[in-house]
Amino acid sequence: MARRQWTSGEADRAEFREERRSLFRITVAPTIWALHFAASYAVAGLTCARLADDGPDVVLMRLVIGAGTLVALGLIVWLGWRSWQQWDASDEGRRLDDQPTSRDRHRFLGHAAFLLSIVSFIGVIYTVLPVLLIGSCL
Amino acid sequence: MTSDATHPSRAGRGNPEPIGTFPPTEEMLSEPVPEELARAQEERLRKTWETPKGWRYWTAVNNSEVGVWYSLTAFGFMLLAGVLALLMRVQLAVPDNDFLSAETFNQFFTMHGSAMMFLFAVPMFEAVAILILPAFLAARDMPFPRLSAFGFWCFVIGGVFVMGSVLFGVAPNSGWFMYPPLATKAEGLGSDIWLLGLSFIEVASIAAAVELIVGVLKCRPPGMRINVMPLYAWYVLVVGGMILFAFPPLIAGDFLFEMERSFDWPFFDPERGGDPMLWQHLFWIFGHPEVYIIFLPSIAIAAMIVPTAARRPMVGYSWIVLSAVGTGFLSFGLWVHHMFTTGLPNISLGFFSAASEAVVIPTGIQIFAFVATLMVGRVRMSLPMLWIAGALAIFTAGGLTGIMVAIAPFDWQVHDTYFIVAHLHYTLFGGMVFPVMAGVYYFYPFIRKQTMSERLGRWSFWLTFVGFNVTFLPMHLTGLKGMPRRVFTYPGDIGWDWLNMISTIGSFIVAAGILVFAWDLIRPKGHQPTPPRNPWDAGTLEWTHDVPAENWGTRSIPYVTSRYPLWDQPKLQERLDAGRYYLPDAAEGLRETMITSVIDARPLQVLRVTGPSWITLWAAAFTGGAFIVPTFHIYWPAILSAILAVACIIWWLWTSTAQIPEAEHKDVGLGLKLPIYVSGPEAPGWWGVWITMLGDSTAFASLVFGVFFYWTADRSFPPEGYPFVDMGLALGGAVLLSASWAVNLWVRGTARRQSAMQALALAMLLAIGGAAALIASAALPGLDPTAHVYPAIMWALIVWIVAHVSLGVIMQGYCLAGFAFGRITARYDAPLWNTCLYWHFLALQVLVAVAMTALLPRVL
Amino acid sequence: MGKSRGLRTFAMILGPGVLLSACDGPQSALSATGADAIAMEGLFWVMLIGATLIWILINGLIYYVTRVYTGSLSPRLAHGLIVGGGIIFPLVVVTSLLVYGLSAMPEQRAMGDGVKLRITGEQWWWRVEYWPEGADPANPPVAVSANEIRLPAGSRAEIELTAAKVIHSFWIPALGGKLDMFPGRVTRMSLKPLSVGVYRGQCAEFCGQSHALMALNAVVMEPGDFDAWLKAEAQDAAPPKGYAATRGAEIFAQQGCGACHAVRGTPARGGVGPDLTHLGGRTSLAAGILPMDREALMKWILSPASLKPGARMPGYDHLEREDLSALATYLEGLK
Repeated sequence: MARRQWTSGEADRAEFREERRSLFRITVAPTIWALHFAASYAVAGLTCARLADDGPDVVLMRLVIGAGTLVALGLIVWLGWRSWQQWDASDEGRRLDDQPTSRDRHRFLGHAAFLLSIVSFIGVIYTVLPVLLIGSCL
Repeated sequence: MTSDATHPSRAGRGNPEPIGTFPPTEEMLSEPVPEELARAQEERLRKTWETPKGWRYWTAVNNSEVGVWYSLTAFGFMLLAGVLALLMRVQLAVPDNDFLSAETFNQFFTMHGSAMMFLFAVPMFEAVAILILPAFLAARDMPFPRLSAFGFWCFVIGGVFVMGSVLFGVAPNSGWFMYPPLATKAEGLGSDIWLLGLSFIEVASIAAAVELIVGVLKCRPPGMRINVMPLYAWYVLVVGGMILFAFPPLIAGDFLFEMERSFDWPFFDPERGGDPMLWQHLFWIFGHPEVYIIFLPSIAIAAMIVPTAARRPMVGYSWIVLSAVGTGFLSFGLWVHHMFTTGLPNISLGFFSAASEAVVIPTGIQIFAFVATLMVGRVRMSLPMLWIAGALAIFTAGGLTGIMVAIAPFDWQVHDTYFIVAHLHYTLFGGMVFPVMAGVYYFYPFIRKQTMSERLGRWSFWLTFVGFNVTFLPMHLTGLKGMPRRVFTYPGDIGWDWLNMISTIGSFIVAAGILVFAWDLIRPKGHQPTPPRNPWDAGTLEWTHDVPAENWGTRSIPYVTSRYPLWDQPKLQERLDAGRYYLPDAAEGLRETMITSVIDARPLQVLRVTGPSWITLWAAAFTGGAFIVPTFHIYWPAILSAILAVACIIWWLWTSTAQIPEAEHKDVGLGLKLPIYVSGPEAPGWWGVWITMLGDSTAFASLVFGVFFYWTADRSFPPEGYPFVDMGLALGGAVLLSASWAVNLWVRGTARRQSAMQALALAMLLAIGGAAALIASAALPGLDPTAHVYPAIMWALIVWIVAHVSLGVIMQGYCLAGFAFGRITARYDAPLWNTCLYWHFLALQVLVAVAMTALLPRVL
Repeated sequence: MGKSRGLRTFAMILGPGVLLSACDGPQSALSATGADAIAMEGLFWVMLIGATLIWILINGLIYYVTRVYTGSLSPRLAHGLIVGGGIIFPLVVVTSLLVYGLSAMPEQRAMGDGVKLRITGEQWWWRVEYWPEGADPANPPVAVSANEIRLPAGSRAEIELTAAKVIHSFWIPALGGKLDMFPGRVTRMSLKPLSVGVYRGQCAEFCGQSHALMALNAVVMEPGDFDAWLKAEAQDAAPPKGYAATRGAEIFAQQGCGACHAVRGTPARGGVGPDLTHLGGRTSLAAGILPMDREALMKWILSPASLKPGARMPGYDHLEREDLSALATYLEGLK
């Protein structure tokens, strides 16, 4: 087969390979929010439809959702930290990610992923508020 | 991270690599193109991209033609739905009015909502995107032009059918949300017209979504990395993804609903174990994201106008990306806020109340990013910007009432009242109508190479803006004073009369504003001087198009290095016009555009796109027949029509896609040669299949959700006394179908034509046997789908799988024929890759379906 | 309701007073007298003031930067605006609102501690059944009525909702929020009225042709009066008094009205249409669309479908006018 002669060289190509995934990576945090949301709704719905309206079943439900929340928040914080590093926020000129370079594209995706993990974090916290504030299936 | 060996793009056996230099050097770019050559190229391009003349004009598939037809049709439906609204406002102007009968009023409000949603808002997004997205990306056309045309013709046929029913007084009358049992038990054709007519259009919407996603990911100009892509493209990407997950649940719901209407399968009939709540869930899982599917692409237009008005790049590009993606996700956690009053447990409502409030954050970021851009820039208050400012004023009001109604106990008061009517019109006028109007004024010089009138535009704006507020602001109070929605009349002594009178007056002011706009849009403008090429001094690529218009889209496909290339790349226009950039020629007389990589937009392929044809019209007409004829409970002509539709589509694919090229590579200019025929994960067709099947799987997942829903809602599901699906036959069916999948996969790896053909024939037989076994597994034990919802949902899963297997067998047959006639070889194997991909998804669905039908009921 | 005429006149003179009185009405959620509705009315005014301020701030800012000061402001300020206006400010406001809203939910749907009602949505009227405080709802109801509910002030009534054929929604805005009624499913809510009065309600879920004509009155009474009323409502129908009413009762029997309607204490036992045992004692006719008087009864019996399109009751236009009048007299006398 023919040979490719990329002027930007093999190193850049390797990074490009890595980045193909990072478009999906920006959606990981909101996906965790979605899974947590769906799981919480399913657990609460099942408890209220199939088990008692009140009492120990509801306590158990709250514990299960609480545990799931800790896992979800932990993952989101970790993702946020990873993407913060990818954003390279220590750099003074970090707000500039608009150049047509691999570096800027890399940082842009990091920044977007970081912001999405903040929104997802808030979303997960909001999801557990009803579990904290409403203690029965009525 | 990933080694080349495992990367999917390496799996594409025998795909040639690009040869040559990329990115181009400044030296290459500054070399002039000989004028004679340029003129010859122009001549060839012009001839290749020529729009057919005379009666053949309607065979055109070019995005600039289809997009205009599409948007004008959607606008026409909007005017019709608006007339229905005016007639309703006349009826409600005074209490105890008899201008319209109850039945007529109910048909009108049903059609007003349905048409505004399905025939205006969503198609308008598709129309505008088809029209302008390729220009933003300096692509010659959409990746699958005939698919756009097919989608458009489906839309016209379905829309005329559904809207036409009003004239015959048989329109659907159960509300645009079609709640069973009212809608399932409704007499007459109305519900069937709604279900089948709109399902047909929903399928077209998914087709458009597939095309737009592939367009954004694969058809960007070289160099336009994902971080310099225009914001509009980001929104289109997000909205395309949302359509894939939002529309399929509704299609699954429509499928169940129509099975109940036509064959009495009791999915929503509480007397036989069905549950009307399942429809509400499926409808609103679609319905709420739908609101954002309408809102995001319209606000995307604002995201293009605001930087132009502010004369500086958008502040917070990645914030806007966050906002679009975040809204896209959160919008799927809101659906139950349409069901706050259904008596679900407080805690369940709480989740949705919380998510509905959480979505305020990305939406707020969105708005404040615009405000920030206006702050930093030096604003020039053009007419489009005036409409955007009006949009923001209206939308923020709608958003603020949205925050109120997201509080569940407050919604218990205002739900299904005129307060909600006011709220939703504030969000939709502010979030969709005004930005789209702004977009029409803004893009008109690009689309028609003429300008709309500044004076009429201001008249239209102020009439619409003032009229809108006069109509809808009082409705908040009307609703709080207790007036429910969807009432054809009301008594005069409870204080609603004067409020309704004000709203009616306002509605006619809005109508006047829209009419001024419509006149300005269509009035002859022949005497006008040609407008400048870039009348607003914008920075994005659509303004590089030639004036007067040329059908080729872009003269040559530029190398892009900026978010606002016209501001930052001063020589871009000149080089583009000279044909200095990529693909400046059409030497073979074939329509071509460039395919680049997803993240960094490196050139990968020259894609030969399809040209004008009648086949799309025929395919749409027969598809329409397959959906429309069953409305009248006539089935044989419908089946015939479906077979003809499939035949048309096969003909279209066979004659115009994945043609074996005359050479492996094509010189695209600037020292780069790109492959012409690519198969597997690098090919846009493969992406199209992948994305389609993602949506298809969502619909299937909705049916599976249905099984669990019935189980949760009913403690005696599956009920005593009903037989199980036969385990042996079901497992046998799964084995046969898996074997068919495995054989199909093996064919992709073999190089020998003869054994490939034999294996494909075997795969077809295995698949047919498997489907027969699945049917037998439910038929032999005597599951009667009309007796109870349990056998009905089991049958629904099996019918779903059998229909998919039929399609899978057709695809295998297509590949077999391809080998037989030399259209598919070990090297040129794109259809085989796509068939295998389809079968991956199908095999997974088969396994899930067998588990759901044969195993699960025994366990529960 | 509950506001004196003098106070209202005084309020009319003042600007905001005009606005407030414009908000009043028999079906207004802004004339709240039930505990749940009062809480939501209060919340609404707070939210309205907040929303108005926020709207003015955002749009004022847009106006300022596009019309007043069109020069360039600092990018740092602009980024601050995105973070402050897009994240921090909404986070504070929306979280507080959400916490309040979620906390309010259990109280709004608390279990009732007084009389218990079961209301069934029909096309297009309401079937109402009563159980007194402490009674077991597994037993038959003590009283069956239609198209009107009566509740004692001061206690929380438990209300079960269901529907016959299609979905409806039960809503008395002055007392509290609405809840849907499903065929084949029972939903529950509760209402705590605080002031005596008559409040109008209406079906809020589209339920077919005459959805607009499905209303009812909620009559809130002093607890003592309510107990007496319920006792009377549980009794059989009073026998007709006077010639016209007696004649009307005969016509009622002749015309087969009892096939669809029940009048307890007579052979009429039909369950398809509303129970008429104490029809004359109700505040309205035909699910809140007509006044309760002889005129209206005659009009209704003559041609129900012209007053309520799609109604299942046939018209009795073959009756002599005198017979029609006698029938109406009989029905009006069923107090």
